[in-house]
Amino acid sequence: MGFRLHLDGELHEVTVARRHPTLILTVDGKELEVAAPPGPGDGHGTMEIGGLEIAFARAAVGDRQIVRLDGRTFDVALVDPYSGGGAAGGAQDALKAPMPGAVVSVHRRPGETVLRGEPLITIESMKLQTALPAPRDGVVARIYRTEGETFEKDEVIATLEPQTEAA
Amino acid sequence: MTAALFRKVLVANRGEIACRVMRTLERMGIASVAIHHHVERTARHVRMAGEAVEITGNTPVAAHLDIEQIVAAARATGADAIHPGYGFLSENARFAAAVAEAGITFVGPDAATIALMGDKISARNFAEANGVAVAPSVMPTDDLDAFAREAAAIGFPLLIKAAAGGGGKGMSVVRSTGELREAARIASSEAERYFGDGRVYAETYVERPRHIEVQVLGDGAGGAIHLFERECSVQRRFQKIVEEAPASSLDLALRERICASAVRLASAARYKNAGTVEYILGADGRFFFLEMNTRLQVEHPVTEMITGIDLVRAQIEIAAGKGLPLEQSQVRAEGHAFECRICAEDPGRDFMPETGVVQYLDVPDERWLRFESALDRGQRVTTDFDSMLAKLVVYGSDRQQAADRSVSALKSLTLLGVTTNIDYLARVLDHGSFRAGDLHTGFVREHAAALEPTPLHADRRAQVLAAAAFGFHEFRELVFGTPEPHAAIGKWRN
Repeated sequence: MGFRLHLDGELHEVTVARRHPTLILTVDGKELEVAAPPGPGDGHGTMEIGGLEIAFARAAVGDRQIVRLDGRTFDVALVDPYSGGGAAGGAQDALKAPMPGAVVSVHRRPGETVLRGEPLITIESMKLQTALPAPRDGVVARIYRTEGETFEKDEVIATLEPQTEAA
Repeated sequence: MTAALFRKVLVANRGEIACRVMRTLERMGIASVAIHHHVERTARHVRMAGEAVEITGNTPVAAHLDIEQIVAAARATGADAIHPGYGFLSENARFAAAVAEAGITFVGPDAATIALMGDKISARNFAEANGVAVAPSVMPTDDLDAFAREAAAIGFPLLIKAAAGGGGKGMSVVRSTGELREAARIASSEAERYFGDGRVYAETYVERPRHIEVQVLGDGAGGAIHLFERECSVQRRFQKIVEEAPASSLDLALRERICASAVRLASAARYKNAGTVEYILGADGRFFFLEMNTRLQVEHPVTEMITGIDLVRAQIEIAAGKGLPLEQSQVRAEGHAFECRICAEDPGRDFMPETGVVQYLDVPDERWLRFESALDRGQRVTTDFDSMLAKLVVYGSDRQQAADRSVSALKSLTLLGVTTNIDYLARVLDHGSFRAGDLHTGFVREHAAALEPTPLHADRRAQVLAAAAFGFHEFRELVFGTPEPHAAIGKWRN
């Protein structure tokens, strides 16, 4: 049975190959001996793995583990075994907030056309204004947040009408 | 006079700078008063202060900008001076005037000097009139069309700036007439929102410019000295992320000319306080006045590191009328210092601000290092305030040692739970061009590809994945069979 993790945009699989006499994992199909497994919980830890003693720090954030190892920080997400793995299609229709913030101005109303790259909504986050460009040419379907309203990161703040196949 | 210069000082700020100011107050035997919005009632600066006063506002930032409440807090607590830190009301002439009117000492210049230097146009004119070089520019106007026409006439590239601005707000580089109008409109709207003054102006943009600034101290009677220069060329979104003192590979004669120019300006303005005169320096050795910041600068610790002078103490002494702490000939610089600004942002996504909770924090402890922050474990990082979380300030006997130490400190600094630029900063300080001192304000853009993280070796990746996997209780159950009690505890945070 595999344990699927997401790191740097790629899917990885960790499985238990053997438990005795020492613990052997396979990481992406390659065996790795774990002489001393890391403990649970946040903070600094060590593990003896693949013949090396490795120091690291780790903290849990929701379904992710943030790992600091060898002076670098990694964001490792647990892949929900029940999810299909990524929404298919429609991404180009939605304008998602790249960061939490508030709407400063809305440049297009629903029904108006917009060209790819044209500013659709100007937002502000941490005293910084950014014009969010339309992801493609199209017609504005809905604007979900008006001036002064706040939103969270990755929230859809505007959508374009679905594209129809041009003959 | 042997008594303390002030009995009690209200620090009209928050975060790392409030803590840093209070540290010096404590050393000087002066009591401190903190101000805070409800959301930061348990913040470190509140815990550090002798007393704390809650201020209210629609947003936490609005509370920190409320002049009447802050002056009232100083009166109510019997503070005889107010230190404004940087940002917020530190360069607000109305605030300085209101403080003075209340019979309280403002640790800074008088309102007239703040107004003179706070407006880029009047500051520029004043500098020019006093023999300080300025770049060719177009003056602001309310008529965007006329502005665009005139600006285009002095040639591209142009830098669009807010007349009342600072800190990169309302600033952009424009390379063609087509971009000009929208850039001016955005700059104007940002300027209106942040400074209540929508006027923008444009000036010649020097290609590959270096940002050099001079730390000055003025006594308010025309006496002024400099504490050498800092270089702040490594910037993203027009905001500094790495600063150093002294500037690397700066010709000695040029250094003297820049520092002398800053002293001339401070002296002519009869400047009273610590201040910073900012310049852009072209590859040809020409330098132009940018602006003067009439307050303590974020990056002041690098100057403190190489000169051994406590700038906050100097500010307090000057405000109390004790004059300059030393003469120019007594100011010595030794060694080299870097400051890295640790920000809640994602360098992999164009430095977009990030939020989260500080789940784990471990700061290296070295004699040659200052970690300036108000961070606490468990602290929520929100968009309420600026994205700067901390400053890592490192000293070395020379530039190379200071850079080596900075990289090592950045690599051992552990801040988990909020995405930060820590790893990115380590790559900057390790970059060949950075080490060679080949700096300009486009450094981050020019070396964007080289500053990306290197791909992980498969063995290293396996270690990271293993370390992460054992953090999930689901995985621990899988490995250890029956659920172990500690695995369950691992999900709980205190």
